[in-house]
Amino acid sequence: MIIDHPLLGPRDAAEFVYLGDACLIDRPDPGDENAARLFHDYLHIRDNPAGEHRELWFHEHGDRSWLVVTRNTLTHEIVRVELARDVALARGRDR
Amino acid sequence: MPDRQLMARAALDGHERTIGTVAVAEVTDLALVSAAVPRGSDEAFAAALARGFGAARPATGDSTVGDRCAARVLGMQPDQVFILFVPPDPDRPAETVSATLESAAYVTDQSDSWAMLRMTGAGVRTALERICPLDLDDRVFPQDRVARTAMEHLSVIVLRDGADSFLLMSPRSSARSFRHAVELSVEHVSE
Amino acid sequence: MSGAFRLDGGAIERDRTLAFRFDGQRLTGHPGDTLASALLANGVRLVARSFKYHRPRGVFSAGSEEPNALVELRSGANREPNTRATVAELFDGLEATSQNYLGSLRHDLLAVNDLLAPFLSAGFYYKTFMWPRSFWERVYEPAIRASAGLGRLSGEADPDSYDKGFLHCDLLIVGAGPAGLAAALEAGRSGARIILADEDFLMGGRLNAESHEVSGRPGAAWAADAVRELASMDKVRLMPRTTVIGAYDHGVYGALERRTDHLAAARGKPRQILWRLYTKRAILCAGATERPIAFGGNDRPGIMLAGAVRTYANRFAVGTGRRIGVFTNNDDGWRTAGDLSAKGVPIAAVIDVRDVDPATAVADARIRMNSRVAGTWGRHGLRGITLATGERIELDCLAVAGGWNPNVHLTCHHGGKPVWRDAIASFVPGDRLPGGMSVAGAAAGGFTTAGALADGHRAAVAALGELGLAVATGEPPVASDEATEAAPFWHVRESRGRAWLDLQNDVTVKDVEQAHREGFRSVELLKRYTTLGMATDQGRTANVLALAIMAGLTGRTIQETGTTAFRAPYTPVPIAAFAGRSRGKDFRPTRLTPSHDWAEGRGAVFVDAGMWLRAQWFPQTGETHWRQSVDREVTGTRGSVGICDVTTLGKIDIQGRDAAEFLNRIYANGFAKLAVGKVRYGLMLREDGIAYDDGTTARLGEHHFVMTTTTANAVLVFRNMEFARQCLWPGLDVHLISVTEQWAQYAVAGPNSRRLLAKVVDPEHDISNEAFPFMACAEVSVCGGTPARLFRISFSGELAYEIAVAARYGEALMEALMAAGEEFDAVAYGTEALGVMRIEKGHAAGNELNGQTTARMLGLQRMVSKRKDCIGNVLSERPEMNRDDGMELVGFKPLSSGDELTAGAHLLALNAPADTASDEGWISSVAYSPTLETSIGLGFVRQGHTRIGETLRAWDALQRSDVRVEIVSPHFHDPDGKLLRA
Repeated sequence: MIIDHPLLGPRDAAEFVYLGDACLIDRPDPGDENAARLFHDYLHIRDNPAGEHRELWFHEHGDRSWLVVTRNTLTHEIVRVELARDVALARGRDR
Repeated sequence: MPDRQLMARAALDGHERTIGTVAVAEVTDLALVSAAVPRGSDEAFAAALARGFGAARPATGDSTVGDRCAARVLGMQPDQVFILFVPPDPDRPAETVSATLESAAYVTDQSDSWAMLRMTGAGVRTALERICPLDLDDRVFPQDRVARTAMEHLSVIVLRDGADSFLLMSPRSSARSFRHAVELSVEHVSE
Repeated sequence: MSGAFRLDGGAIERDRTLAFRFDGQRLTGHPGDTLASALLANGVRLVARSFKYHRPRGVFSAGSEEPNALVELRSGANREPNTRATVAELFDGLEATSQNYLGSLRHDLLAVNDLLAPFLSAGFYYKTFMWPRSFWERVYEPAIRASAGLGRLSGEADPDSYDKGFLHCDLLIVGAGPAGLAAALEAGRSGARIILADEDFLMGGRLNAESHEVSGRPGAAWAADAVRELASMDKVRLMPRTTVIGAYDHGVYGALERRTDHLAAARGKPRQILWRLYTKRAILCAGATERPIAFGGNDRPGIMLAGAVRTYANRFAVGTGRRIGVFTNNDDGWRTAGDLSAKGVPIAAVIDVRDVDPATAVADARIRMNSRVAGTWGRHGLRGITLATGERIELDCLAVAGGWNPNVHLTCHHGGKPVWRDAIASFVPGDRLPGGMSVAGAAAGGFTTAGALADGHRAAVAALGELGLAVATGEPPVASDEATEAAPFWHVRESRGRAWLDLQNDVTVKDVEQAHREGFRSVELLKRYTTLGMATDQGRTANVLALAIMAGLTGRTIQETGTTAFRAPYTPVPIAAFAGRSRGKDFRPTRLTPSHDWAEGRGAVFVDAGMWLRAQWFPQTGETHWRQSVDREVTGTRGSVGICDVTTLGKIDIQGRDAAEFLNRIYANGFAKLAVGKVRYGLMLREDGIAYDDGTTARLGEHHFVMTTTTANAVLVFRNMEFARQCLWPGLDVHLISVTEQWAQYAVAGPNSRRLLAKVVDPEHDISNEAFPFMACAEVSVCGGTPARLFRISFSGELAYEIAVAARYGEALMEALMAAGEEFDAVAYGTEALGVMRIEKGHAAGNELNGQTTARMLGLQRMVSKRKDCIGNVLSERPEMNRDDGMELVGFKPLSSGDELTAGAHLLALNAPADTASDEGWISSVAYSPTLETSIGLGFVRQGHTRIGETLRAWDALQRSDVRVEIVSPHFHDPDGKLLRA
């Protein structure tokens, strides 16, 4: 398997470590009045799509970037690779 | 009062060996210091790098050569470079970098974190085919390219510093395993 | 010149002779021979016994699809069973032995199985070895094991070495026949970076086996020139003896290269290399495999594939018989008659199932159109055939041409299914190919040389276009087209005797019919019920025939019947090649601390901790049991001072304007207000509230911290912190880098630790209790100027420090500490004493932070800040995790001081039965405490803190232990912490 790193080009998946669904970026607000339920869903509730799936990979034997990889679970085709930090910033995460 | 000074010991005791056309030698005279760029200070950092080491800030995966301290700057991460240089005080390279960069970066000494092996000679790339997943072709990985990858389960930073010269850095604790992996690869391809 | 069956011509070096042995018999051949061609040249026809019925078998094919001619190669530890003689390259001194018989190959006592054949048909095992049940292990299994398998393993360690490797290219071409060579020439001339791999040692594919001409010259000569031209190109890597075994995701292919199998000795070089090929495009030019026709007695030595008979004649200059017959359903079979006749080998007959005009005239041969072979005779080799008409023809070799199956395997490795093409009566690749792959030549169903050349060229031009490279020449090599008319014909209904499909697993047409009768009609079930295609050849010559017959029985089309799944590897790969060099101590790397050699010199006993080797204890003269060493180390440390290498702890350098705030969110307890020059113990939770790591973090500066993690979690903690930094709070200014390897770190513990350190730390640094109290840290220098970091932290419960220097000074510092400690009788202690002391002190470690425990269970609930946001604090508020009757960490002592506690014991009320419902907790860590002179333990019990003094049973079925224990405070040693602060 090859991941086309946005900064480094194609690299063997053996250099990476998989985490899971990219929704892990969207950590709920701990101050929310429903924080317990939100955190429960954040940790445990996952879609299981047949098709495109956005997932987190860590380039452990590389530049230590977390990446959001969009992979088709039916074909294994990787259609998009982004720096997770850029994705997080775009989703409004900051400090 | 302490009655003796501590003697330094290199990760591989300065090991050198030539197998066929390939020479493998531990590099012990270079310091390695990481410099992380404070958020929002990219311009100041680049300016400090140019002033202090006479080097441009490299993109991740590239390296640049400075005109001071024989420094080479390796682009390791989006917000981090490694500076490889001949240190005026081998015991305090981080202090040297911090002063040279006028505190424009967060510095950490990495000199003892990595054992360094330089492989030189015709046939280096043929040997590396056995352990290195990177494409080291001239067009893909020309001189000055740098990458971190894994070889035989070990993290390795690969710097191409010549047509047939590669500087390999791998964690110090497993240096003997790494040296063995490298030399076995050379033995396997040598005539 | 060797062998009575040699012909003229061929691609062998006649002026060099190679001596070899088969079953002890001395024979000779030439460079360029395979073992099979050399055996045939010497007239050796009986080479093997079949798997189940022990039928005499001979060479059947001339390639990797060989089902019959499996031999043991070499001897002693080098012996390799089940080697296909058809691909084993001959070398001087080769030793081969036939396999799978009792007695001799010629008089195999197990041939009695053949007489029992009526009882051994499909499903025999499933039906027979059912009863009585008591026979399973005592009778059936030993009997089955004794008769199972073909060749014998040497039973010794494999003396050869193996390797792996990584190669990159623009274009991979699989197969160097006409299509592959045409593709490679065009792509090579156009400047593409190519790998051309072929499983054969001689590139050229069928061009070496046929009498065709290419560009006006003999095909083999054209191929040799093409290979020469390709070899001269910088960017072309020719890989003969290399089988591409599988297609993986994103253009990755696996390939097995046989480096030294063709040499008498490997001379220390790897025998085989398993390559990972990274490709941008790939063209599959894997050719096609001929299939036989099923008819009565079609397994006798001398019955061969017609294309193989041509290969032996044209390439190896071997006549496979004195009088050869051809049985065909297509035009291609006639080529065998023509080529052999031209070489002077008499053709006895050509039998064609089709009612058409003969394709060519063949001198002196009986030509029988619209005819079928129904039976054969000859005990150890073919002596004649009987036609369906009853006509008998004496001959010693029958070339069978049943049509060609494109080698579609690699096209199916991503789930694609081949499709049936009526015009050629074969499966061709479907349209769901692995990404970047195209198929050309016979592999795509184009069976002419001219077509293969043009198709290979076309595929190369297309691939070059996709790669953005300009096409150099643009013209394919030319050849004349040959006739390839074929009729689908699978099985002679008039067969006399058994008609074989899978020669290696002895599956007959009758077995398929029986499977059909018994309802096993899906091809996947047919395969498993009859074992069709499950031998080492994976049924490459058998499968299509069998499923065509099944299609006929069920009334479905062959397309509807379908094929079984094609899976990697394409041909067998030794397990040793998958292991590569990862054997013995090379299985994984070893991590050593800077003072490892010092510890080894002291006779330390080491323990694996992940990849680390850590000193477990240091035996001294006279100590015969590890407990003596460990007790001495503990007593020496608590009594005076001990030194322990703690380098393996994970260390992370954390810097940035927001470093304190970041740590405040990573740790359950607060770090924002930690003063510069201070250390704090920190507990990390998972987001679900479970404790997962702990350690200490020191604040070296306003924006600079250094964290320690447990040895085991160093990598995980770093990864999780990078996740938090990049994905959760990307706006914080915080930077991480591992310094685990940078610092050699030593614990110096015991009442004399300060006095010892005062001799090592340079005098300008005041380390008195007032200037450097418990939980202080500082950057100091030691031994006259070497930079060091000093932390006043204690894992043992004693007055203690940890001191760190750059790794290069680690060994020297250890020596300096021991030298300075001589006057205090300082001891070096290992991980075992470390563990004893932390249990005595009641510190939680890996056994307690086991992924099931919470801060509350560990007695650390007051550390979890409710006023700040940190990982895990929301879900650690869950009611279930805060029950009043929850588990709590306590200590245990045996009631009777001689008893030993065991880790893993369950805690039960004294009179409760040992069952799950009565389980009240467990003991997690135990040690013998030389300080208390009793076995002690830490563990978890419901509402433990309210039950100090209570007696329970510690019951351990695994270690057969059942002792009475008293619940005590987990802090066995210095519960008030006076020593730490002394």
